[in-house]
Amino acid sequence: MRGILKKISQIDFGLMSPEDIRKMSVTKIVTPDTYDEDGYPIENGLMDPRLGVIDPSLKCRTCASKGGECQGHFGSINLARPVIHVGFADTIHKILRSTCHSCGRILLTDSEIVDYREKFDTLIRNEESLTSIIKEVYTVARRDKCPHCEEDQEDVKIDKPVSIVEGNYKLTPSEVRERLETIPDSDALLLGVNALPDKDGNRIARPEWMVLTVLPVPPVTVRPSITLETGERSEDDLTHKLVDILRINQRLKENMEAGAPQLIVEDLWELLQYHVTTYFDNEASGVPPARHRSGRPLKTLAQRLKGKEGRFRSNLSGKRVNFSARTVISPDPNISINEVGVPEIIATEVTVPVYVTEWNIEEMKQCILNGPKVHPGANYAIRPDERKIRIYEETKEAVVDKIEPGWVVERHLKDGDIVLFNRQPSLHRMSMMAHEVRVLPYKTFRLNLCVCPPYNADFDGDEMNMHVFQTEESRAEAKSLMRVQEHILSPRFGGPIIGGIHDHISGAYLLTRKRAIFTEEQVFQILKKAKLPIPNRTGENWTGKQIFSQVLPKDMNIVYKAEICRKCDDCLKRECKNDAYVVIEDGQLLTGVIDEKAYGAFAGKILDHIVKEYGTDRAREFLDASTKLAVSGIMKAGFTTSTNDEEIPQEAKERIEVHLDNAEKKVDQLIEAYDNNELEALPGRSLEETLEMKIMQVLGEARDKSGEIAESYFDINENHAVIMALTGARGSMLNLTQITACVGQQAVRGGRIDRGYSERTLPHFQKRELGAKARGFVHSSYKEGLDPIEFFFHAMGGREGLVDTAIRTAQSGYMQRRLVNALQDLNVKEDGKVTDNRGVIIQTVYGEDLVDPAKSDYGKVVDLDKLIDEMRIKTGK
Amino acid sequence: MKKSAWGMVDAFFDKYNLVDHHIKSYNDFVNHRIQDIIDIAEPITLEQGAYSVQTGKLEIKPPFTKEADGSKSHIFPTEARLRNLTYSAHMYLEMALSKGEEQQDFEKVYIGELPLMLKSDICHLSNLNEQELMAKGEDPQDPGGYFIVNGSERAIVTMEEIAPNKIILERIGEIEDRRARAIVTSIKSGFRARISLEYRKPRKTGVFLRISFPYVPGEIPLVVLLRALGLSTDEEIITHISDDFNYQMIVADDIQVSDPALKIEAEEMEELTKEERREYLTKSAIKYIGNRVAKGMTEEYRIRRAEDVIDRYLLPHMGIESENRAEKATYLAEMTEMLLQVISETREPHDKDHYTNKRLRVSGDLMEDLFRVAFTSLTRDMSYQLERSLARGKEPSVKQAVRSDVLTENIKHAIATGNWVGGRAGVSQLLDRTSYMGTLSHMRRVVSPLSRSQPHFEARDLHPTQFGKICPNETPEGPNCGLVKNLALMAKISEGSDPEEIENIIKKMGVLN
Repeated sequence: MRGILKKISQIDFGLMSPEDIRKMSVTKIVTPDTYDEDGYPIENGLMDPRLGVIDPSLKCRTCASKGGECQGHFGSINLARPVIHVGFADTIHKILRSTCHSCGRILLTDSEIVDYREKFDTLIRNEESLTSIIKEVYTVARRDKCPHCEEDQEDVKIDKPVSIVEGNYKLTPSEVRERLETIPDSDALLLGVNALPDKDGNRIARPEWMVLTVLPVPPVTVRPSITLETGERSEDDLTHKLVDILRINQRLKENMEAGAPQLIVEDLWELLQYHVTTYFDNEASGVPPARHRSGRPLKTLAQRLKGKEGRFRSNLSGKRVNFSARTVISPDPNISINEVGVPEIIATEVTVPVYVTEWNIEEMKQCILNGPKVHPGANYAIRPDERKIRIYEETKEAVVDKIEPGWVVERHLKDGDIVLFNRQPSLHRMSMMAHEVRVLPYKTFRLNLCVCPPYNADFDGDEMNMHVFQTEESRAEAKSLMRVQEHILSPRFGGPIIGGIHDHISGAYLLTRKRAIFTEEQVFQILKKAKLPIPNRTGENWTGKQIFSQVLPKDMNIVYKAEICRKCDDCLKRECKNDAYVVIEDGQLLTGVIDEKAYGAFAGKILDHIVKEYGTDRAREFLDASTKLAVSGIMKAGFTTSTNDEEIPQEAKERIEVHLDNAEKKVDQLIEAYDNNELEALPGRSLEETLEMKIMQVLGEARDKSGEIAESYFDINENHAVIMALTGARGSMLNLTQITACVGQQAVRGGRIDRGYSERTLPHFQKRELGAKARGFVHSSYKEGLDPIEFFFHAMGGREGLVDTAIRTAQSGYMQRRLVNALQDLNVKEDGKVTDNRGVIIQTVYGEDLVDPAKSDYGKVVDLDKLIDEMRIKTGK
Repeated sequence: MKKSAWGMVDAFFDKYNLVDHHIKSYNDFVNHRIQDIIDIAEPITLEQGAYSVQTGKLEIKPPFTKEADGSKSHIFPTEARLRNLTYSAHMYLEMALSKGEEQQDFEKVYIGELPLMLKSDICHLSNLNEQELMAKGEDPQDPGGYFIVNGSERAIVTMEEIAPNKIILERIGEIEDRRARAIVTSIKSGFRARISLEYRKPRKTGVFLRISFPYVPGEIPLVVLLRALGLSTDEEIITHISDDFNYQMIVADDIQVSDPALKIEAEEMEELTKEERREYLTKSAIKYIGNRVAKGMTEEYRIRRAEDVIDRYLLPHMGIESENRAEKATYLAEMTEMLLQVISETREPHDKDHYTNKRLRVSGDLMEDLFRVAFTSLTRDMSYQLERSLARGKEPSVKQAVRSDVLTENIKHAIATGNWVGGRAGVSQLLDRTSYMGTLSHMRRVVSPLSRSQPHFEARDLHPTQFGKICPNETPEGPNCGLVKNLALMAKISEGSDPEEIENIIKKMGVLN
């Protein structure tokens, strides 16, 4: 099964002619029965042995291959009377409407025909779509009088699903077929039916083939019967439907031969039409679905293909894979970002195929000897003739004796193997990255905390999937393109997406802040833990900045403002009293603290610098070591927070209270001004809108200001909540403001709350009251507690957020799907051209600037400021 | 909160149970509404009235089981749960089959089982004290209010719906579109008739005001319907709708546009007296409707059918007799004025999420729907059985004609699967027993019939009118957010009352007419 035998150059989609169906058919099906009393299939029945075999022990009577290999053969049913195919009913209707009922010509004048034929020819020559022009033909070719034979035309209507009505007369399928037969091949082409014969005289389609005279019967492999435990046979839905068709067909034939009255024949004909219709599509509108005896609607052909659970979306687009594993994830700060901890129980189950060579044969033999249960073992051995041998405890010795170069051993996963790791939803390329395996005890996947942001993972029960590569090529590709360290920089914004989070940030701050002094003993402990080289003893104390400098490249120079920078008007630079001005010279952290801006995910400047200047290997080392330092740092200092961190003195509370009261008064003044018509409308706004905006502004300022008051009583040196907020580890100053000072205005859809009872939000207020509280301003702080009205407004604001997230996830999923569908075939060529799957150029140069955003400076090709800074430091200015 | 206030809370819960709404409404269902349904049901007649079946009083006997050996014993919920039985009461109905005019005596016929709500009046547990409950294997803290069907506990979830028998005005699109709609869902003994009056600029020619109601395909001009209801002359229609000249003009335009469709012959009218003229106009409107409801039938039938449709399916809550037509016309006319006020921005459309415009249907109401359908299928089955025995020449007997399984299975199946009549799914759910609070919360759940697949941002919001009625905090996250709600802890659901009773009270207080 190697090598390509033939290349497909073209696929034609067309209709099957009755002859095609008969030619394909291996037997005529006549008997509406499956098995006889002895359980043998009936000849010319629906389970005729010539239709193929399922039982692997039997041989097919048509192709002589065994069950499982024989893919089955079609049979056919000769219908006593023609029947319209539901799938084509609409097309038939359109064709009849656009053709003459007596001469069969298309209802276009001769000049129009010439015109359209020319258009068709050019389109076909240019391999362009004919859909729109065919649609046009159908709209133009509707006349009351045939331009060819001058016959008056009656209106043809369709009565869903399959009845074609002309005027008031219902056409029988036979009449429909006769009419379709009269349409000349050349006219059919204009109607979208390619009826022109090719050089062998074969046609792709003819209009009358849309009316069935012979029905193909799918092979038994398509509709296998199942045997229940009771020994009872249960037939497939399709078989049931075919039985119905055969029965009615038989009766119709008998009645016709016996010369039964027209009425009876027509009734049976209708019934045959119904059965054939539901055989194709049991959900066609206008027909009651055919039901099983239990009342369950049958699953017929269309139902097998359609929809999410159908063949296309479920079996063809959605493939399932082997060599994969899924389990709960948990954090491990001690493994590298490149690694993933794999539970032993998984490592012994999913395997890597290894070619046995002279150089690894001993190792492979040891694996086989360990067997399938002991960890670095093996589960299968594959002989050079591709026969797979399962390794059992009992047989492992026998396999070892036989093994020689040329075999393949499926050995257990072991440390250092490359695997693919994924968390759904896979929204960007960093959702699937290649990790190195670390086989670990227990039952969860372990991952480094720095890779949480790209996967958007947390550990509240998240599960992730792992896939093991099965070929050397895939492993090589994954290792060079998909490794975690290659994705530290995100193509989304050209900055790091993998980096320190939460405690890494506060830890680094505690380690590098000014007052952090460590004894030599402590320093050695910290460095040891980060697996950094231990320097010589000097007997002196270290600053935290010195410790952190150990992980920086020796020739690194960078200057930036840290996250804790208060954005003073007059920057003191190196003398900054917050220690927010970071200066690194020759790999030494001279001033400034390490916080989110240094190596945090999404913001880390140092990390960004290292990746771009020193490469991804160095960046991985830096991230692994620095996060470990930070964890040591936080452990040495100790870190905790509680509501005590949000405590402020009575004096502060009073100041806030005064401030908020003033703001509320200001709001009242605004309302008064509005009531007295003294308020001036802002340009482009109505008076009401102006008032709302001003009130919102006043209340927003009030909250911010009260937050500032509260903040002024906080001490970053003592207060861990503040450390977290300011360094960017977790939480924000706004969170702290809401806890200590004032929760602030609650908003629903961007504005103050104005729905509710007539002309007021709640009956606790006056009608038409516009004051702060009446429209959802929460004066209290979380710590103080909210009164019932405030609490309710707060719940309203909260509900909006909840609904938004619920709706957004569903919407963004659908958007992603459409985007992927639109872009999936685009392809960047070696020369930077972007083409689609037909080779049509979309962009002459990728992204119009040929810049890989992941390698750019935050999206820009070069960051000049940064370059100038670097030069300054290098030249010592 | 002050200590005294907590005392009030205690007092509240001394008097009211957390699942009172279920139990009270179920009790009402058992004690009154079942009998009403049976009384209203159309009597069975056979062979053009030669035979007929009369129904009398219903008797409901508390749950018991019949063992294989034929012995009967009281069954308690715990036993039902353990043995996968259904905790259900047995219903006996007085029925009599009379031949021709002669009246027969009633005989008591077993018609089927009715799943029983725990702790309702006829439940064995209703009057037990704590010790007795424990002796019967029950948790004395258990609130009841749910059913046991085939051993599984099923709670019927309260459904929220837009208030019936009430005009709801809504705007379609933006104000500038000048489109609005007035909807009334009229309910008369289980039959829901939704009428919708819409103001819309016609595409080419036609009327602005169109109305649609059950059994009339498509929409018909409002003025035609008013005419058919007896507001025959143009003047009557216009003045009934509004005193405002602007609105009158809109209606006058509509009348002019719709007149040709009524095929009124001016010459014919001239010779008629005023009374005859009125009749002629009304008749032509009825004919117009008749052409819609019974196309292709004889004229006589068309007229009869049109009148029938107007009386029975248009605003049935106002009555289903022809005497109610004038009242209905007034109602529609006022509705029209309100709609026109919305269009001209002198009246605000209704807030659909305002809790005043919502009603909650509790287990009793939902059981009523179920029982009505189940009982009709029983009577249908009965007449089929009777006909069959008649055809075989046997002496018909009600006792033999009643197949109690029909009613039992219909009701049981709905509660067991949650597939209610009218195609609603998930009405009854497996009672949440993950925790005691989970159970209580489940019994107080309120679901909105809005689909979870559409955003419906406004419906999901916490509306200020829900203050005190709906819990502001408890709603699921995800697609059902804001659509599945829970009653506030101290909220109780009032049971509806008979309008006549209230009318009498008001009259007694001295209100005239």
